[in-house]
Amino acid sequence: MKSALALCLACVVWSPSLSAQHGQHRLQGRVPEAARPAIDSIIATAVAESLPTEPLVQKALEGSEKGVPPDRLIGAVRRGLSQLREARIIVARAVPGQPVAAGHVAAVSAALARGLSPAIVERLLTVAPNEPPVPALHAAADLVAHGFDPDSATDLLVDAHNKGLHGDRLLDVASAADQELQRAGGRTHADALAKVRAMLPNVPSPATPVTHRGSSGTKL
Amino acid sequence: MNPIDPRLQEALDGERDPGELSADQREAYHRLMNAGALLATTPVGSVADRVMAEVRAHSLQVQHAGHTARAVRWLTRPRAVTFRLKPLWTLGVAAAGLAAILLLPGEPSRLLSPGAAEGVARFVGNFPGARSVEVVGSFNNWSRGSLHLEDENHDGIWHVTTVLPAGQHEYMFVIDGERWVADPLAGRYVDDGFGAGRQNSVLIVRRNTAADATPQ
Repeated sequence: MKSALALCLACVVWSPSLSAQHGQHRLQGRVPEAARPAIDSIIATAVAESLPTEPLVQKALEGSEKGVPPDRLIGAVRRGLSQLREARIIVARAVPGQPVAAGHVAAVSAALARGLSPAIVERLLTVAPNEPPVPALHAAADLVAHGFDPDSATDLLVDAHNKGLHGDRLLDVASAADQELQRAGGRTHADALAKVRAMLPNVPSPATPVTHRGSSGTKL
Repeated sequence: MNPIDPRLQEALDGERDPGELSADQREAYHRLMNAGALLATTPVGSVADRVMAEVRAHSLQVQHAGHTARAVRWLTRPRAVTFRLKPLWTLGVAAAGLAAILLLPGEPSRLLSPGAAEGVARFVGNFPGARSVEVVGSFNNWSRGSLHLEDENHDGIWHVTTVLPAGQHEYMFVIDGERWVADPLAGRYVDDGFGAGRQNSVLIVRRNTAADATPQ
């Protein structure tokens, strides 16, 4: 009896802090009441599966601020959960025998949302399993978004890593390839990749704060 | 010098009765007698004596005034302040002022000092005619009112520089508090997942170095 009471007391004390830990308190007053139970349930599922909850909380806050109807809001958060599950499988496969880091799972989930294939993501994680994956994944996503062949773009990033470029410098590799592509002379994507590969590891880095090159905003 | 009338002179000397004088001479006689009486009067004191008397009186007043009144008088009394600068110091001060003008930031980003796990992000957008522009994103929990862009010279170019945690962020601009638009200069976009085909801009903030909303 005493132990049951202690357990109940522990639950009462623990529940609010657990909620705060997973960011659900931030949904209070912002997420429509109609969507709140379903979203709470999705986040609770993520907690139970040891998945990161922050991307789900952010998606719920984003949709609420944008005035998205509750059903679409719930759908987006649910898809986020599915993507996190897929991301965790990829991370576990890429770095076997190591605990799956929540940061890696969130980064991979974001990379998948940007259109990278699981195979490309897994390959990049395998090359640098102990490094923060965000720069490499976004460098690859940048190259793919600019029309480079995904496998060739990944080859370039792997080469860059093997020649000593890590972290944010991989974003410089993607920038260099994009700049080569934009040079006059009808350079093809393959030409641009070859040119950057030849200059590795000496790709230009932003020596000064990068500023906008111009402005092309929407005319009201 | 006009010669004095002999009869008037005699009256002044007491040798003639002033009643024997004409009306004009009697008037002159009385004026001269009054002047003589005035000159014969002994002065109360010299100018120096009177000034010193005033000073002593003032000093007594001050002694009898309270400490507060004296303090107020001391504080409010104008005083001459003299600076004695060597030419070398003057040149040094001028050089320091020039250095401050040259080195102080023209860009707000230089004032920002990100921590080890942070970076500087600059948002720029061309929104002519907008009344307000703000950035809403994962870095501010998608809440409005915390990060406004400014257009000081009213040329339609809105901008803001801020410190953000290093890493990836999604964001959008909100124009006039109601219209959501992706950053046209972001260079990275991702579907927002709500089924309306809307895209968020993606920002990668580099650790403790300046980053940009369009770090291409």
